[in-house]
Amino acid sequence: MAMEESTSLLCNLGVLDTLTDSSLQEIADSYNGFCAATQTLLTGAGDLSVGPEFAAHVRGLCKNGLVSLVRDHFLQVIEETFERNGASKFWGRFDAYSNFADLKKDNDVDFVQRKNSFKALTYSTYNWSQTVQAVPLQFLHALLVYLGDSVSYESTSSGLKSPLAARPSACCPGIDAPSEGLVRWKLRLEYFAYETLQDLRIAKLFEIIVDYPESSPAIEDLKLCLEYTGQHSKLVESFISALRYRLLTAGASTNDILHQYVSTIKALRTIDPAGVFLEAVGEPIRDYLRGRKDTIKCIVTMLTDGTSGNSSASGNPGDSLLEELNRDEEIQESIGADDDFNTDDRQAWINATRWQPDPVEADPLKGSRNQRKVDILGMIVGIIGSKDQLVNEYRTMLAEKLLNKSDYDIDSEIRTLELLKIQFGESSLQKCEIMLNDLIDSKRTNANIKATISAEVGENAISMDVVSATIISSNFWPPIQDEQVILPGPVDQLLSDYANRFHEIKTPRKLQWKKSLGTVKLELQFEDRAMQFTVAPVHASIIMQFQDQTSWTSKNLAAAIGVPVDVLNRRIHFWISKGVIAESPGADSSDHVYTLMENMVDTSKNGGSSGNPQELLGGDEEEERSVASVENQLRKEMTVYEKFILGMLTNFGSMTLERIHNTLKMFCIADSSYDKSLQQLQSFLSGLVSEEKLEHRDEMYFLKK
Amino acid sequence: MATVNGQTETAQGNINSAKQPLPPAKSVDSQSVLRRLQSELMALMMSGESGISAFPEEDNIFHWKGTITGSKDTVFEGTEYKLSLSFPNDYPFKPPKVKFETTCFHPNVDLHGNICLDILQDKWSSAYDVRTILLSIQSLLGEPNNSSPLNPQAAQLWSNQEEYRKMVEKLYKPSSA
Repeated sequence: MAMEESTSLLCNLGVLDTLTDSSLQEIADSYNGFCAATQTLLTGAGDLSVGPEFAAHVRGLCKNGLVSLVRDHFLQVIEETFERNGASKFWGRFDAYSNFADLKKDNDVDFVQRKNSFKALTYSTYNWSQTVQAVPLQFLHALLVYLGDSVSYESTSSGLKSPLAARPSACCPGIDAPSEGLVRWKLRLEYFAYETLQDLRIAKLFEIIVDYPESSPAIEDLKLCLEYTGQHSKLVESFISALRYRLLTAGASTNDILHQYVSTIKALRTIDPAGVFLEAVGEPIRDYLRGRKDTIKCIVTMLTDGTSGNSSASGNPGDSLLEELNRDEEIQESIGADDDFNTDDRQAWINATRWQPDPVEADPLKGSRNQRKVDILGMIVGIIGSKDQLVNEYRTMLAEKLLNKSDYDIDSEIRTLELLKIQFGESSLQKCEIMLNDLIDSKRTNANIKATISAEVGENAISMDVVSATIISSNFWPPIQDEQVILPGPVDQLLSDYANRFHEIKTPRKLQWKKSLGTVKLELQFEDRAMQFTVAPVHASIIMQFQDQTSWTSKNLAAAIGVPVDVLNRRIHFWISKGVIAESPGADSSDHVYTLMENMVDTSKNGGSSGNPQELLGGDEEEERSVASVENQLRKEMTVYEKFILGMLTNFGSMTLERIHNTLKMFCIADSSYDKSLQQLQSFLSGLVSEEKLEHRDEMYFLKK
Repeated sequence: MATVNGQTETAQGNINSAKQPLPPAKSVDSQSVLRRLQSELMALMMSGESGISAFPEEDNIFHWKGTITGSKDTVFEGTEYKLSLSFPNDYPFKPPKVKFETTCFHPNVDLHGNICLDILQDKWSSAYDVRTILLSIQSLLGEPNNSSPLNPQAAQLWSNQEEYRKMVEKLYKPSSA
């Protein structure tokens, strides 16, 4: 048979001549029979009884050299059948689940069910692909082997490798090499399956990542598919556009964006351990976050707030970066090596094209390259550009926190600082450490002063016991916003006694009070009630004034306390809102009269709160911060650079961002040496552009004339 | 960055070889020259003087580019001139070399931009700095010293201010940069 076949292949035309009417008839019959049998076999419900008949027809056709016709027809029918039945069934399954998922999302039902749906989806998909591999492919195998086709194509088919071809098929033993057509078809089918699943997953990637730890089976799917299809760029494109559309909008809070970023990092590092695509996907998020003012603050909060209970944010996976710090503690060995996450993205793409996967055997947890590349904290710091900024913001927040502490309990701060030190290096956090040490020292000094001073001042109305001082080394603290305020006489006396004692103990050091900082706990006793408050010194001074005189005009009161009238008007609102003081228009329109409310009759609605300790801090207004914000500090520094920038642009006409950056680095090295990142400079320059001092076009900056 | 640095060094080398080679003893002082130029730059930047400005070129603090605008109510009003200042290694004991980069039709400036100004030559004192040099040149524009002209044509024309203004406008080529 093999011989006949090869002759027919070689001299088709000759064969045509030898055809007789009877053989033509035979061929036609066989072909029709073959078609019918094929139809029965493939579309029927697994009825194999027509097998012998089918085989007879095939044999008859082969005898007449129509092997290729048989094969083509058969493949075509299989494909049609599959498209008609299998595909619709396949999609039917997905439709069911995607509807399900959508429904769940609309109703905002818990994640567990979604997780189940993802898992079920995954399962059914695998199931399906197994079916595809098993049923028709086996059949094809059997058929083509029967045709003896493999012999004539053996040499060419060995070049085509498919994962399935490599696997010996259990149901048809003794076959070494499948035919080219079969391999091609298998590959197409497989690719189609993988690509379909991949497209499905990519389309839903945003949701998948939102649910990240629960949706990891879906991520695994995607990983498998991408390994096979290699369409990573599709993922990148589609995901970036989803991000732009759904996440990077003014409506999304910075915290949400950061959480999604962290989830993205975690999810994508499963797919792509080297972090190349992650770099590309993360770029728009980073760019966007750089434009937001509160990014640094949010990051620092995420970094530091891990210890104080995750009550508010239970829904967000991977919420606390502090956990990340903790986890890294064990693995992190080299600091300083992680400074290169700013690598040029073009470079990343170049690397991407050359990317070689790690050997499959390599343990993904231990690969040093992976560890370094996809380091969540590193990527987060990468948003800001430099760790200095982050450290600076942390310092400001820490200062704020420490200054508002009335006890000296800083255990959690010490812990956070130690963890940060591991990440950012000891030297950059030195100032923060000094701040914490100040607190520890203060506790000791405070105890010391109180122990030695109490004997001397007996006649003083207020005992020294009520004062606790936080003694700070102001050089190492962020600039502190000090406001003048006149404290009540006895308190002031107490403070200066304290300062004198400090000077005696720690000569030559002197204590300078920042009288507007700190907290005062006080109890107000009225005719009918007592109230407790924890307030800022200014508020305490204000209310103190009402002790002897129950009514003040705003001008007089402001003079007595030593603050401007507008500040007073703002501060006194605290007491008005508490129902302690009433405001009434005075003789002069700008001069208000404040009167102490001695009993609660007029403000009965507040009666319930009487006697309850008020833990509200008297400073809930936004602008009331004891530490100058990092932005303000930065702005102040930047005005020096502004003069330099204007100076250099006057003389050089136009300059690129990089050149301005480098020139500043080179020449602005006097007392406030230039240490800003390129991003900071860029945002500063765009500020100058919007102030119409500069112009920016074609990557160059010009002076606005 | 490395390559740029390389250029600087060669550029500086050229200046050194063009001028008299410095005795090795003085090289110890280069740090203080650097500091002095640094602080002059800071002072100039912070002074916010309008009409004069200067800034080191690229990454070499010994080479500055300067800008002077013509003072009001002089024939040079509305013009802007670029200068180059190059400081010797023993600055401020020696004056810097100052040249006009933009063509300037002025009795005390020749066609190559060289300036004839006493404080840049024999009357130099280490008390002068970039700011005073630029201010002097700015005032020189309005009050030329016609007794020792480098550009006799300009000196002759000076008496006729209207014609002179036309000449200035004709020759004035604002820098494209």
